[in-house]
Amino acid sequence: MSVPVTMRAVRKVYSSKSGEVNALGPIDLDVASGRFVSLLGPSGCGKSTLLLMIAGLLDITEGEIDVAGKAVRAPLTDVGIVFQGNVLVDWRDTLGNVLLQIEMMGRRRADYEQRARALLSSVGLQEFAHRFPYELSGGMQQRTAFCRALIHDPPLILMDEPLGALDAMTREQLRGDLERLWMEKPKTVVFVTHSIEEAVQLSDEIVVISPRPGRIVRRVAVDLPRPRSFELRQGNAFQQLVTEIKQMFVGFGVI
Amino acid sequence: MAGPNPADSGDRRTVVDVSVLALFVLAQIAAWEAAVRFFDIKPYILPAPSAMATQFVRNIGRIFDYTLVTAFESLAGYALAILVGVPLALMVAFSPFLRRTLYPEAVTLEMVPKIALAPVIVTAFGFSIGPKIAMVFLVCFFPILLNGVLAFTSLSVELGRFCLSTGAGPLRTFFKVRLPAALPQLFVGLKGAAVNATVGATISEMLGGDAGLGYYIVIALGDEHADLAFAVLVALAALGLAIFGAVILAERWLIPWHVSQRVPLQGVAGTLTRG
Repeated sequence: MSVPVTMRAVRKVYSSKSGEVNALGPIDLDVASGRFVSLLGPSGCGKSTLLLMIAGLLDITEGEIDVAGKAVRAPLTDVGIVFQGNVLVDWRDTLGNVLLQIEMMGRRRADYEQRARALLSSVGLQEFAHRFPYELSGGMQQRTAFCRALIHDPPLILMDEPLGALDAMTREQLRGDLERLWMEKPKTVVFVTHSIEEAVQLSDEIVVISPRPGRIVRRVAVDLPRPRSFELRQGNAFQQLVTEIKQMFVGFGVI
Repeated sequence: MAGPNPADSGDRRTVVDVSVLALFVLAQIAAWEAAVRFFDIKPYILPAPSAMATQFVRNIGRIFDYTLVTAFESLAGYALAILVGVPLALMVAFSPFLRRTLYPEAVTLEMVPKIALAPVIVTAFGFSIGPKIAMVFLVCFFPILLNGVLAFTSLSVELGRFCLSTGAGPLRTFFKVRLPAALPQLFVGLKGAAVNATVGATISEMLGGDAGLGYYIVIALGDEHADLAFAVLVALAALGLAIFGAVILAERWLIPWHVSQRVPLQGVAGTLTRG
């Protein structure tokens, strides 16, 4: 199951001593059910802000966001969220961290243990179910965070630069994991990133956002077959898209 | 609580560490004894370890009784400080009003040397056990409150957002995430307070009391028995170490997952609790 997300004239304005800062918007965007959509933009453009507003974790200054046809007014609870880091708890092993989601939702841990183990296996962590976060590499920790965001089978996944804190090689591995997990069970995904390659590899559609105040500059459909293998990523179609998007950022004066 | 084994060092390593430490201390005691005899140092300036040992054995009954008195005062005041300090820290952490009022006040009061309050308390409340417990409470309360506030307010933003996104209520969030996340910093306060506890008890016994190790030291010195005073000091050190060691063990048991528990502890407490 997956759900659509719609944004209508969404704005975020921060008030500070030196006046109001127009951080984002107005944003109008439809994310169709089951699509993998990336919000791509330079840092500070408000893409993470938008993601947090979709999650109901940040107030919307103006406009409306609907998830599954319902206006977001409080934190969404049928959602899987992955942040850049800092989200595993130190006192639980890998399995316990995945099941924390279930326990926090007030469901029975035992009902989900098998599924949690299966998820961990699917990202190569079957041997690490009883290891603690400090015994894991950064990539393993983030894989655990993916499993935790998927354990309750939410119809919407929100990811805020989930690969941003990882080294280049690990990042590439985890992109593959993410694509595979998503292909097994397509859900609506809103994925925040500032990596163009990452966006092109993973997305059905890329929403390019301008520097602050963040506005949608272009929506780029990525019609490449999946899984997007190493060979495909070296091919012309893929590289052309990357170059095209890069040129937009050159246009902004960002790069 | 089940968890990873924090001590990587094996039993053999522990035995070697303890033996080295014991030899080191014994050598110091021997040097002390030799120095006192060789330089003929007057007993009221520095008693020989042998004289201290003799006094310790001769007065073991009284030392034991007074250790119980001081232990009771220390533990009662310490427990009271935990019972008041931790809930108050929680309230401050979650109440913007208290954080603007009570918290800065507590930080300011923390700057007052609590020892200076001992005569005031004795004058006001007399020589009974109450003011001694009050003194211990005072020296234990502030580290617990201040570290407690820090502990309950330092959850990472991301983890807080994760909790909200699960729809868990405040109670479940507290017991499943906030409390365990707060324990390491909470223990910083509990350990600081444990060190202070015997200090508070001793000082108030010295100023006005009729029992306890602090009182005994004053009496011994009044009788020009420095060797006995030193013997009592040893008992006092043992008591302080026992209280601190118990807190360390509790910490080991409750937060074996924390980074502070993965590096071997240094010092006597580390040697005693390792393994």
